[in-house]
Amino acid sequence: MKERGKIFLLVLLGAFIGSDLRYLESLIFKASNGFPWGTLIANLTGAFFMPFLIHYLQDRYNLSPKTILTLSTGLLGSYTTFSTFIADSYRLYQNGSWFLLAIYLFVTIVGGFVVALLGNYWAASRAFIDYAKRERN
Amino acid sequence: MNFLIVGLGASVGAILRNELTLLQSKIKIDFPVITLLINIFGALLLGIFTAQIHNAALLLLGTGFCGGFTTFGTLNMELSQLWFQRRFVRCFLYFSLTYIFGILGFVIGIHV
Repeated sequence: MKERGKIFLLVLLGAFIGSDLRYLESLIFKASNGFPWGTLIANLTGAFFMPFLIHYLQDRYNLSPKTILTLSTGLLGSYTTFSTFIADSYRLYQNGSWFLLAIYLFVTIVGGFVVALLGNYWAASRAFIDYAKRERN
Repeated sequence: MNFLIVGLGASVGAILRNELTLLQSKIKIDFPVITLLINIFGALLLGIFTAQIHNAALLLLGTGFCGGFTTFGTLNMELSQLWFQRRFVRCFLYFSLTYIFGILGFVIGIHV
């Protein structure tokens, strides 16, 4: 039970920071035409760093499962959001901003997947560089 | 003050998401069904909240709770994993189900 409490606390901590970062971005990048820059930036950067964290940083710095839980499920999990993305899209649709809606949907949906693939490739290439360095020494 | 409200809502959402994700290893389905359901249900809830509540309450339950409960990072992480495993049908299915039912869930939520 004590272990469970610790897990709650770690996820809470990560989620608190992650969601506030996203909220901060939505305040900073408020556009007059209503384009949701904040959510877009949070989602794309989060989707990019998630695979890099899991497939590179975890091994590289020997991160414990608890650290990974805090950073991935907690921080990046709450920093990125699916529901707000849908709500943003609905708002653009209601405003009749068809062009912005099309761009937002495309960049989030396709871009999110592409940056996740890139995050994986980046992780693999960094791991390979480390391996090559060790081989040389 | 607003940062506290968002952070609190998101913490509860994330803890709930973490608890639910633990079920994934217990069920015998080789498909990220838990994240799928979390995102669809979270979008439905946000639809309801968007239509029914405002201001600080919407910040707590919408931007906070629903924002922290649903996740875009894990979705794309899982999609990319399926892609690299060359399980393209599953990848496409997960992708389509998430976006189609996510949007549908939100629209239903707005109108109930």
